[in-house]
Amino acid sequence: MSLPGHTKCRTEYIRPKTALLRKIRGSRSRALPDRALVNCQYSSATFSTGERKRRPHGDRKSCEMGLQLRQTFEAAILTQLHPRSQIDIYVQPLRGVVSLQVLQADGGTYAACVNAATLAVLDAGIPMRDFVCACSAGFVDGTALADLSHVEEAAGGPQLALALLPASGQIALLEMDARLHEDHLEWVLEAAAQAARDVHTLLDRVVRQHVHEASILLGD
Amino acid sequence: MAPPVRYCVPGERLCNLEEGSPGSGTYTRHGYIFSSLAGCLTKRSENGALPVVSVMRETESQLLPDVGAIVTCKVSSINSRFAKVHILYVGSTPLKNSFRGTIRKEDVRATEKDKVEIYKSFRPGDIVLAKVISLGDAQSNYLLTTAENELGVVVAHSESGVQMVPISWCEMQCPKTHTKEFRKVARVQPEFLQT
Repeated sequence: MSLPGHTKCRTEYIRPKTALLRKIRGSRSRALPDRALVNCQYSSATFSTGERKRRPHGDRKSCEMGLQLRQTFEAAILTQLHPRSQIDIYVQPLRGVVSLQVLQADGGTYAACVNAATLAVLDAGIPMRDFVCACSAGFVDGTALADLSHVEEAAGGPQLALALLPASGQIALLEMDARLHEDHLEWVLEAAAQAARDVHTLLDRVVRQHVHEASILLGD
Repeated sequence: MAPPVRYCVPGERLCNLEEGSPGSGTYTRHGYIFSSLAGCLTKRSENGALPVVSVMRETESQLLPDVGAIVTCKVSSINSRFAKVHILYVGSTPLKNSFRGTIRKEDVRATEKDKVEIYKSFRPGDIVLAKVISLGDAQSNYLLTTAENELGVVVAHSESGVQMVPISWCEMQCPKTHTKEFRKVARVQPEFLQT
């Protein structure tokens, strides 16, 4: 899927030999007796940013992104229904064509990953409390901006990433690492929440249409 | 005229807890029933009790073998102590990805467990009906048993490559070469016999 801007995400939720929902491999001590373990891995392709850079697999940014995704989805997936199992979500952001323009609008990788992974988990049939819709927001020149592009992110202002469960209005993850005055926090949060709700409307419509088409094709 | 189908998405509020009871694909919160899957809403009304509200998906999500489930598996390798199998079907549902299972020597038969020889009960390539006794230990292999009359080898090929015919609970015969081979044979259910 691609969001406004040019960030595209591909979510692999079924690999050829592994299942999305499966028993725990490796150390069984990680198995939780009453719920499922959610495991998220983020890997970026070499052509995904402006310059072609090969990234080692377990580097800090990937690990952190994986951890954030895991926290987000542990809040949304009903893990009690599958004890002693593991749910794997692999996300890999792509950026199709590297344009000749120096300025590429493609910020908000976390938001794109969360939205794509929501669709993947939904499609795999794993029970979830609600959609998880995410958006980034920032504060530039006294205005709260939602869904920052790469240029706006690079400008160095405070940026917030928000993952929301729209139906109940609960926040799954809220992350910011910059300094923002508390008076502005409310506006920025509201801008991000509104954008996330708009994403939810879009995803809702797309999912309903897909379910409708799928049931027609299967002759239900 | 079929009633209009209602599709729902996760997080959608379906109804009150007084109007229905939660089924599969739903969860309850604050006295309301919410959907947890993307699919079709179905209401099954039992006589007397509240209708059961559930959300059905067309394609079944990944099914995991549960303890006590009858599974169909294919023997991949044998040892003097156990046989390793690939679990292919759970009940009558095929699995998209096969799981590994183990049938220990003492779980092959119900009687005379110590006199069991795996080589005379299973061979690689046999299709076996077994029951899950445990989710397994560190190697994450399901533990299976065939210690019942209805469990055991269903399809086996002889050394000449022809499918064999069962002649007793412990022997199968090749129709081409008439040689008998030892297997732990499953008793065929009467409804599957063609007469």
